[in-house]
Amino acid sequence: MPLLFAVVSGSLTGLGISRLKGNTWSPPNFRLTWLVFLGFLPQWLAVYLPLTRNLLTDKQASICLATSQILLLVFTLANLRVPGMPLLLIGLGCNLTVILANGGFMPLTVEAAARFADTSILNSLTIGERIGSASKDVLLPEAQIILPMLADRFVPPPFFPYRFAFSLGDVFIAAGAFWVLSKGSSAKPILV
Amino acid sequence: MKKLINQVVFFASKINKTHLQFALMIVTLTLVVLGAGAPEELGKTGR
Repeated sequence: MPLLFAVVSGSLTGLGISRLKGNTWSPPNFRLTWLVFLGFLPQWLAVYLPLTRNLLTDKQASICLATSQILLLVFTLANLRVPGMPLLLIGLGCNLTVILANGGFMPLTVEAAARFADTSILNSLTIGERIGSASKDVLLPEAQIILPMLADRFVPPPFFPYRFAFSLGDVFIAAGAFWVLSKGSSAKPILV
Repeated sequence: MKKLINQVVFFASKINKTHLQFALMIVTLTLVVLGAGAPEELGKTGR
């Protein structure tokens, strides 16, 4: 959800810039688009689709997550010429690295969880185990995390109404998505 | 039935190709972002 905000705001910014300049908005043309659908499929089955995610073990889910992110990495590499895509690549690389280094799931630091989650939810979690079948995260103390600077360790400021934890990679991904969409306005016009 | 098919064909012919390209691009980027990112909300654990 937090990352979708970058897609929506990037689209609106791209449209807004186009209107201000009196241009039409041209979104980028991606190469190997089919790879995104193929790459997202394992993750959709392992994390997003309730019917299948409950059937998979954590080990199988982690393999699906890694496979999915590797395929998406290939897609970002194939589209590196698109403005903003290098940022997306850095973000995806950061997330994939820390996921692979920590057993197949994104580590969420106990310290970060304590800063944004309710006590009742925190008490229901077990350190060292995956947060749940709909999550890509595993709860770990910062001292036990390999590459802790890339883990889900940041939380928005207290005045922010939506509470979540995010990683450095997520920041790059959001920035990259925003850039891809907002820079679309400077390309040749295809969308009125 | 024939009228219905004609209507479907008529409305399908009105769809702008560039708008379809735009929609595909948004869906593609959304999937990339959802697949690449890993923020944790702790609200939807699936348990």
